[in-house]
Amino acid sequence: MQPFDSGLAVELQVTGRAVTDVRIHSTRLVQASRMLASRTPAQVTAILPAIYALCGTAQALAGCGAMEAALRLNPSPAHRMARHFLLWVETVTEHAQGILRDWPGLVNEPPDLDPIKPLRPMVTAAKRALYPDGDWARPGGGRLAIDHGALIEQRRLLANLAAHLFDGSPEDWVKDPDSLQAWARRGEGIAARLLHRVERDGLSAFGRATPHLMRAEGPRDLETRLADDDSGDYVAHPDCGGAVFETNALSRQSAQPLIAALIDRHGTGITARLTARLVEIAVALRDMEDLAQDLCDAPRDPAEHHGSGNGLGVEDAARGLLAHRVEIEEGVVNRYQILAPTEWNFHPAGPLFSGLMGAEATPDLKWRAHLLVAALDPCVACTVEVHHA
Amino acid sequence: MCMAVPSLIIAIDRGVATVEAFGSVRTTSLMLLGDEVAVGDYVILGAGGNFAAEKVEPEVAAEALAYLAEVLASGQA
Repeated sequence: MQPFDSGLAVELQVTGRAVTDVRIHSTRLVQASRMLASRTPAQVTAILPAIYALCGTAQALAGCGAMEAALRLNPSPAHRMARHFLLWVETVTEHAQGILRDWPGLVNEPPDLDPIKPLRPMVTAAKRALYPDGDWARPGGGRLAIDHGALIEQRRLLANLAAHLFDGSPEDWVKDPDSLQAWARRGEGIAARLLHRVERDGLSAFGRATPHLMRAEGPRDLETRLADDDSGDYVAHPDCGGAVFETNALSRQSAQPLIAALIDRHGTGITARLTARLVEIAVALRDMEDLAQDLCDAPRDPAEHHGSGNGLGVEDAARGLLAHRVEIEEGVVNRYQILAPTEWNFHPAGPLFSGLMGAEATPDLKWRAHLLVAALDPCVACTVEVHHA
Repeated sequence: MCMAVPSLIIAIDRGVATVEAFGSVRTTSLMLLGDEVAVGDYVILGAGGNFAAEKVEPEVAAEALAYLAEVLASGQA
């Protein structure tokens, strides 16, 4: 174990023919954001993408949103659209990386690494195409000067990526569960092959749980609970009135007709969760086409803000709802909190727990648990152990 | 939390880098990197550390390492 290595460990206790206990241990550094105190808001938003590996765009923009709320800044609609675009780029690339890197191992195939190489540079290129000075997360708004040629190239690359993932157009499978099933059976592409394996093995409903899907705006008591969280217990094990929400592509895309139909047919099991990520890629690409038409230049907010206040910033990171809360005193941060989606999805009593508790103790239980972990998509490594009584 | 620890490349052998951060040494694959890297460059590692995810500019690495040293000293890591 090295400094800053953190992860999740899942232990399944089997008694007789079923899982009778599920323990989820986390060594994630959920309190580390406390050390962001004593910096200025601009320093914090500059350092956030450097210290959070997988979702640096969402982290910095959630931080930026918290600062703006605290300092009562109101960035222009142009900045809001540009930030939305950047979040979509990160979400699509994160989903694609997970599919190409992690899904093949679930069907005994080698990872599809070549298409992954250009993904992270795409996020960097998108920021440069919108904010050439690199101030895309500046509270109040950086200098937004759009390089339309670079944006067209970005969208072309992302469309090619989607065509590779889907081996065709989303229109082939997005209509209804039967179209999805037919597409999966053709098995052209890793996403189709994994979904087909899940269907063939009768696992479409595996991992289903009573749905507690996160609302788009987050839990109603989010800000209060964060403000009262002196111990740090809430950011480690969040809940809302005792309920632990699931927050990811499934919660965001559950109203899409295909996902609603899959939930109706199989519950919130493996198939609905995996497919929600595919649907979200298609939704994002469509939305980015629209946004690209409307994006326009906007000046940098020149003011240096030295005010005081408390603020909450909430963004949809690829893996779910990401919340930052800040308290600022005369231009200096004196308290900083982050609540990440993995704390909901891998809560000791959350969707992973509910999805595995009571599962049949089949010979491939460990693989099934890994499949559910992959469907819930943690942002750190996750091990699974099965213990028999 | 998924902290990104800039790790210094101290050797490269057939697409696998030996990297160092905070005195710990490990190996990581460079197969997912879009950028060319060399000994002396910094990279951040993906979840689990099996793959290097991104090359990091030296000044960004220095800023992140300074923050992470504070976290380490505070006992939060």
